[in-house]
Amino acid sequence: MNSAAESRIARAVAVPVILIGVWYAWTTLHPTPRTPTPGRVAAAAVDMIASGDLPLGVLQSVGRVFGGFALAAAIAIPLGLAMGTRRAIERNVDPLVESFRPIAAIAILPLAILWLGTGTAAAVTIVAYAAFFPIVINTVAGVKRVDSTLLRAAATMGVDRLTILRTVIVPGALPSIGVGLRIALGVAWTAIIAAELAVGAKAGGGGSGGVGQMMFVFYAYSIELNRIVVCMIAVGLVALLLDRMLRALNAWLMPWTH
Amino acid sequence: MIRGVAGAAIYFRTMAVFAAVWWLIAAWTGNAALLPSPLLVAKAIGELALDLELFKHAGISLARMLASLALAILLAVPLGILMGRVRIADDLLDPVVEILRPISGIAWIPLALFMFGIGNALPVFIMTYAAFFPIVLGTISGVRGVDRRLVNAARTMGVSHRAIVTTVVMPAAAPALLVAIRLGAASAWTAVVAAELIGAPSGLGYAIEWYRELLMTPQVMAFIAMVGVLGFLFDAALRSLSRRFTPWAPATA
Repeated sequence: MNSAAESRIARAVAVPVILIGVWYAWTTLHPTPRTPTPGRVAAAAVDMIASGDLPLGVLQSVGRVFGGFALAAAIAIPLGLAMGTRRAIERNVDPLVESFRPIAAIAILPLAILWLGTGTAAAVTIVAYAAFFPIVINTVAGVKRVDSTLLRAAATMGVDRLTILRTVIVPGALPSIGVGLRIALGVAWTAIIAAELAVGAKAGGGGSGGVGQMMFVFYAYSIELNRIVVCMIAVGLVALLLDRMLRALNAWLMPWTH
Repeated sequence: MIRGVAGAAIYFRTMAVFAAVWWLIAAWTGNAALLPSPLLVAKAIGELALDLELFKHAGISLARMLASLALAILLAVPLGILMGRVRIADDLLDPVVEILRPISGIAWIPLALFMFGIGNALPVFIMTYAAFFPIVLGTISGVRGVDRRLVNAARTMGVSHRAIVTTVVMPAAAPALLVAIRLGAASAWTAVVAAELIGAPSGLGYAIEWYRELLMTPQVMAFIAMVGVLGFLFDAALRSLSRRFTPWAPATA
């Protein structure tokens, strides 16, 4: 390893290390029984992982995210392809998409609870709603960005519509669809945490599980700040992993974009 | 987007079809607490607007939104310029940004409830946090996207570092910056309902939850519609601001 790389790494860890040092120093100088300290958070993390609570909660949330995400993709990609290829469909459907897009998924949560209860069905619906918009918008944009020369060439050669869709439009729109899916997965993860938190907060902590609800239980019932911080770190790590996963998937599916 | 009279006609036709389908399902359900008809929701909107309750909560949420966005801009834009221009600042601070960014604003709510309690500070903190990251990243990429030749030309002519930032970098990066602010605003508006639902005694999120507990679904839907209308108007306002202040920007996005 050369010294330039070493100094880059040194710079990269400098501020995080200083911040943790300040956190440690501050909590050592002003000790209170509840304030999270680096040591307590680490101990809580070990405890929560060993007991299986944290992995279970994370798995539950991730499972819901994938369920809702798959549902959203199954609806949004075909709809986006239809809107992108047929002007009439786009003109008629776009008002609905644009009208609902500014309504945050979490605002729909009370209705989802009313119609579907406080369990997984409501959570998956919220996730699907949140993930729907980035996918549909990026699919439409992707279809429109397909080189019209290719479309005309295919049409001239007498290729039928379905084959054009499969061999020209979908591969051409794929990079944009991939971006939409990546954004959607990030939004979906945020939405599930919000949904689980709000369900925990407003449904009396009734067991629907997930990391979000774990956090709320630690806040409202057992008052364990260290565990809340552990959950936050887990939320961040999962978000990072999901993003990396979709990036890798996009690169693997579309080597020509890299 | 809607363009012209024909566009507006299509918009209203689509929404009319949507309302008709909704009305049919509502009639079939026959339970106003479960699914009120569009008419009942319109009536609820009218009543809430008349006794000003709708505008009171909307005004509170909007004020929090403006405060958060202003705060996020004040923090993120200078930081983004610094990180975009100075290599060592980027090396030092980028890891912190990248560590915090995946932790969504909403995940801070339980901890923030301890730090700030229930009130104005909590939603403003959550929304500022949510708006901060898109703005800082957009500013960095905007500043980096500035044509190097312009900066070099100014430097050759002996323009001071500060003047380069204010007269060359800022105008060139302004379109990207305004897009970043729009993304930040959208992100903050997504967080407002969650933050108010759990941690504020007022605002749109609080009102939605209040009427949900009372099972007054028409009122719940009225406030949800308000969230959508305000979100749309806020974005439209930012877009027209961009057009006015950066007429040289490409007309995309």
